[in-house]
Amino acid sequence: MDAFGMGICAAAGALAFVAGASEDIDSDIGSQSNPNSQVQLAAQVGNPHRIYNKAIAGEPPSNALWCAVACLMAYVLIEGYHMPLLFAAVAGASLAALFDGVMSISAYLGRSASQARFNQWIYLDIIRYTTPSIMAHVWITSFCITLIAIIQVYVLTPHHPFPIPVIGLIWGITVGAIGSSVGDIHYGGEREFQWRLFGQGLNTMLSGQIVRKAEAGLRNSIDNAWFCAKFGGPCTGLGFGLTVFLDNWRTTVFDPVTQATYAIAMGCFFVLAMNLYNLYMEISARKKYGPYPGYKGDIAA
Amino acid sequence: MSLVFDTNMLIYMLEIIVGGLLVSVGVHFVPVGGAPAAMAQATGIGTGTVTLAAGSGLTGLLSAGLMMSVTDNIWPILATGAVGSMIMMDATMLTGDFIYSYAVGCPYASAKVNYDPITMFPQPPYVAPGTVGQGIPTVCFVSGTIGALLGGVGGAMIYYPCLQIGGNPAQAAIFAIGIFFVQAVIPSWNIQGTIEGFHDPKFKKWPLAFKASLVAGILLAIMTVLIQPLGVV
Repeated sequence: MDAFGMGICAAAGALAFVAGASEDIDSDIGSQSNPNSQVQLAAQVGNPHRIYNKAIAGEPPSNALWCAVACLMAYVLIEGYHMPLLFAAVAGASLAALFDGVMSISAYLGRSASQARFNQWIYLDIIRYTTPSIMAHVWITSFCITLIAIIQVYVLTPHHPFPIPVIGLIWGITVGAIGSSVGDIHYGGEREFQWRLFGQGLNTMLSGQIVRKAEAGLRNSIDNAWFCAKFGGPCTGLGFGLTVFLDNWRTTVFDPVTQATYAIAMGCFFVLAMNLYNLYMEISARKKYGPYPGYKGDIAA
Repeated sequence: MSLVFDTNMLIYMLEIIVGGLLVSVGVHFVPVGGAPAAMAQATGIGTGTVTLAAGSGLTGLLSAGLMMSVTDNIWPILATGAVGSMIMMDATMLTGDFIYSYAVGCPYASAKVNYDPITMFPQPPYVAPGTVGQGIPTVCFVSGTIGALLGGVGGAMIYYPCLQIGGNPAQAAIFAIGIFFVQAVIPSWNIQGTIEGFHDPKFKKWPLAFKASLVAGILLAIMTVLIQPLGVV
């Protein structure tokens, strides 16, 4: 272990934090993943809305595409044209953002147009000012992940044997999986249904009844990003940052050639610690919130 | 490289098949609630089965790939793949529970059992009205960790022979990702989108997916040993 390696490893973790947060906010602005089922449903149950609707694909495949495109371009520029690493990452991320812009607009137009019979309009102003925000967040995500891949392949020792587009693909799938699992709950479980009783999930009877009014005027996707950036985004960043940092840290501190056992044992320790922390949170939540009022079953709380 | 069928080739095929079966069984352990869980409407992680299995298994694949670049010994490769996968899965479940606790403001509860088989905490009083549970209680968390362990070992076990045959890490990784996805999709049909873990009644259906994955694994193993050597120049 050397100080330089540790610093780079920490930088990769920090980049992962930013990538995770921006990935989640991108999916919230575009209303991309699981909670989009409610946005899609809203118009059908009589609630046309001004929320962007761009479920291009599940978050993991779409982020895998952006990150792989960014890494591929960076790889070509680095290996073929000997460009500086940072410049290559910037160019790659810009291409990925353009790809995302094209697909976002076509997804919004297609999805909204298909709901014309439910009185759902296509809002050109929404396209005009929401799409650049989505593209900007995709730029940040793919830039950070390209840098992580570059760090793993060219800087951290031992160098990773995969080329950076493959690493970008894998981290893209992972960040999408985490964004879809973590940040989406804040958007779907809380932001979309703020008018129901706090402290519980969505009652099935209320499906499609999303909040359509904002703090001022009608709610749009930028309002959702403002809310989700406060907690959902950072939590997603924490999840992805922990994954990248802890996974790299154990092979940076312990040499995988001579101290493989320690690296694996340290990983097992992290896993155990996270299991115990979750148990602590479960006990704490049960104590603080208590059982739901009106429960009439036989099993005592 | 010419194609030679020998004992090694059979061992490679066996590793690909066993790795695929581990992934297939591992997916049954992962507590996925699908889109309803993203609205805190069902217990588990709020995303799709394949999504999560792939996310964790491929993180394990990255760790295993790094380890395999410094050693040929299969055991540390499998172990580090498993650990990488478990770290990703646990970090995801933990931060997901942050949102359930501190943003949605609900306790974690399973709707499939009356008492958590590990902690013995009663569950029904904590299930919100109109939902089928929320959050990731201890039994689901432990089950997810086991699923990630199997997925990580499976992914690494698929990657190992691919690299041994072709000798090209990039090509082997892409093959491993492809095989991983096939083996993760098959059990998703079996569990019909959502499952809470090993305590869920749907878990008993795993032998069905096991058989289907075995057939798919054999086909994939044959294709892998036929195609992999072609990429070597």
